[in-house]
Amino acid sequence: MTGDATTATAEGPTRLVGWRRAVSLLGSLQGYIGLVLVLAFGIVTRGGTFLSQSNLTNAVGAFASRGILAVGETLVILTAGIDLSVGSMLGLASMVSAMLLVNQNLPPWVILPACMLCGAVMGLANGIGTTWLRIQPFVMTLATLSVFRGIDRQLSDNVSVGTQVAGADGKLTGNADSFQLFGTPGHNLFTGVVGAGVYYPVLAFVVVCVVGQLALSQTRFGRHVYAVGGNEAAARLSGVNTDRVKIAVFTLCGLLAGFAGPIDAAYSASADPLAGTSYELDAIAAAVIGGASLAGGRGSIVGTFVGALILTLLDNVLGLNAVSDNLQLIIKGCIVVVAVVLQRPDLLRGAADFVRRVARRGAPASTGRSS
Amino acid sequence: MRGIGKSFPGVRALAGVRLDVHAGEVHALLGENGAGKSTLCNVLSGAFGSYEGSVELAGEPVALHSPGHARRLGIGMIHQELTLVPDMSVADNILLGAEPRTRLGRVDARRMRDRAATLLADVGLRLDPRQPVRQCRIAEQQLIELAKALSGDLRVLIMDEPTSALADAEVRRLFAVIRTLTARGVAVVYISHRLEELEEIADTVTVLRDGGYVGTRAMAGADRAELIGMMVGRPLGELYPRPASVAADAPVRLRAERLTLTGDTRTGRTALHDVDVHVRAGEIVGLAGLMGAGRTEVLESVYGAHGPRAVTGRVTLDGVPYRPRSPRWAIRHGLAMVAEDRKAQSLVLGNTVRFNASLAALARFRRYGRVDRRAEGRAVDEQVAALRVRTPGTQAVVGTLSGGNQQKVVLAKCLLTRPSVLLLDEPTRGVDVGAKAEIYAICHRLAEQGTAILMVSSELPELLALCDRIVVLCEGRVTAELDRAEATQERILTAAMARGTVLTRTAAGRTEEEVHDR
Repeated sequence: MTGDATTATAEGPTRLVGWRRAVSLLGSLQGYIGLVLVLAFGIVTRGGTFLSQSNLTNAVGAFASRGILAVGETLVILTAGIDLSVGSMLGLASMVSAMLLVNQNLPPWVILPACMLCGAVMGLANGIGTTWLRIQPFVMTLATLSVFRGIDRQLSDNVSVGTQVAGADGKLTGNADSFQLFGTPGHNLFTGVVGAGVYYPVLAFVVVCVVGQLALSQTRFGRHVYAVGGNEAAARLSGVNTDRVKIAVFTLCGLLAGFAGPIDAAYSASADPLAGTSYELDAIAAAVIGGASLAGGRGSIVGTFVGALILTLLDNVLGLNAVSDNLQLIIKGCIVVVAVVLQRPDLLRGAADFVRRVARRGAPASTGRSS
Repeated sequence: MRGIGKSFPGVRALAGVRLDVHAGEVHALLGENGAGKSTLCNVLSGAFGSYEGSVELAGEPVALHSPGHARRLGIGMIHQELTLVPDMSVADNILLGAEPRTRLGRVDARRMRDRAATLLADVGLRLDPRQPVRQCRIAEQQLIELAKALSGDLRVLIMDEPTSALADAEVRRLFAVIRTLTARGVAVVYISHRLEELEEIADTVTVLRDGGYVGTRAMAGADRAELIGMMVGRPLGELYPRPASVAADAPVRLRAERLTLTGDTRTGRTALHDVDVHVRAGEIVGLAGLMGAGRTEVLESVYGAHGPRAVTGRVTLDGVPYRPRSPRWAIRHGLAMVAEDRKAQSLVLGNTVRFNASLAALARFRRYGRVDRRAEGRAVDEQVAALRVRTPGTQAVVGTLSGGNQQKVVLAKCLLTRPSVLLLDEPTRGVDVGAKAEIYAICHRLAEQGTAILMVSSELPELLALCDRIVVLCEGRVTAELDRAEATQERILTAAMARGTVLTRTAAGRTEEEVHDR
């Protein structure tokens, strides 16, 4: 690579830079390409049904809580960590929210912060374990995945808690009614925009994404997250408090899981002791499809947002086409592999070289860049 | 064996390069960073699947397509970056990929240890082959790499800057090994930026520039100015500019008294014992010493990189007591450090020049809780221009720049924090001659502006030319402090190897020595 840099300045900087930018843009565009493909597939096979408001609402709404988890997961992955416990944290938070509603009859505006606090405490535990106790994130969160789920089941005594609490008159109590807003059954995706009512799960997901993306790209904290993931030693010597950054991302991840908990409970109208099981895998998949590298330092919330949309719409399209569940799992797995392969510009470059060589067969073969 | 002929027409990184290496000769490759030396060596060692041109070994054309194949042909390579597996034993590393096996197919541990011990003896190392590589010092690891290269039937040995991590005494040992190899008829291709070294060890020298072949000279007849001229393609006045002297009454910026650091064998950290150092405003002070003398540790202790608990002693900044708590704390108090290992400790290689340059100084660009990108961009552009970083733009990925330019980005990062004390650890390691001269000029400019500079370097001529005062360390103690007038290479080396006198003084030193000797 060193040779390239010298030649770039010596000969044709603009041409080379432009070309390189195009290649890296392609790399970041692959997420959108995937999204377009999925949409096109949906429209072609099940045009009307797929595009209908109620279908899109269902598709995105069902995924919103996992999408929010994916945002937190992305933060952790950017620092070269991983959080396997997000599903359990969501489960525990959803259980806490349902119990606060049913047993204490608290209003939603109290429940939501309480759940977020609960999630943040769990995330803080993850963060402290990985920094002060120097436990690898994978191991630490694998342990807490089990611990949090255990607490969840202990609290609920393995019985799911319904959130549609009826009062003495047989109607929903005021608090239960407003709690439903988190899941907002019966609302549509776009009616909110027009003004008839807001579809909260999706709104929450979008807001979390926007805030997350701004924090990552605009603030000092965001830079520090990328630096810790890209080269921890360099970040530390540059005055970044790396432990604090790591604790912060784990805490934020927990906080977002706590935020997603009540949404999940309200969406399914009950808190199941097993709610959120294996959600961590969806969250990680969304981040990876969106361009995040598990080695840290690469990825974005926008990417994760697109990755989440791809996953949910793909689910939906395959479901509409009556593809069997088993086959869906296989296809989703393959999508992850394809997405990761597409993210490597060097692979694209190699492919381009190959195409050029084939096109110019007969002329002396070129080795391309030897860096 | 007769030699190697080779040419690569039409390749960007390397084009039409010729190289003839004879048996029993040391052939030096010279060139600025990015000239294509490493690329050429990687081709020779089979690191690339495809290349152009032809390679002949002992008169027969050979195709080199994999490192394993090259190794079977008798071509060994020692990379610039060490390629040992830290948690495996010395013996396992040396014979990696060539493990002797018993008739049942199991690895023959005893033969392996014996073979490794022989090879270690060949390179002049006394180490237990069962010891994990992690516990060896960098210089030892370099020699272990050499032993590894010797494990095959060696005909050509390629060494890519083998001395960049070594202090002078260890370089001597390496040279002795190289001489025994050439006496056995091995051809050595040797890359180094240190001309003094080449004058001593090399027989022939080939100069590359921008991936092209410039010329070949017999080392005996070549003069230094001519070689540098060939490398940079322009005549270079003087490598080291004359420094301005500092007034002796300038205020002391940084003073460390009785600086003591607890050692750590696991990470190879040297202990410091009562080190006294002070730097005046506008002064450049050099820290000399062999590998493991504790030079880096002095910088890191002052910078707070070892945390508040490992370091004791009294540090003052401009006369005000200061406790080195963390790098963050240090930066806030006007210290900045260029770390020893650019890639591992200084840069986020996958990110942009701008991201890296502003990383330590983001607090300056804070506005309404966010980073003011315009102000940041302006400051970075300014610094990049001032340091003459050659980059396609500030959005270019740092990993794609050459070593010298990467180092300048690290300097830019430090300077953006507006430091009053600059700690430089091997600021010119792996940097080409042109960039070196520029880095020296930057140091002088900063010193003139009143920055206090404390600098570690393994290149004595560099220290002698650049520093107003040189503090020599040996095994974590100060053994000499020399003014610019009284400092010579001999005096520095004598002080740096004053091990014996130190040993009789304390028991702690003796145990350390015993551990090392075992």
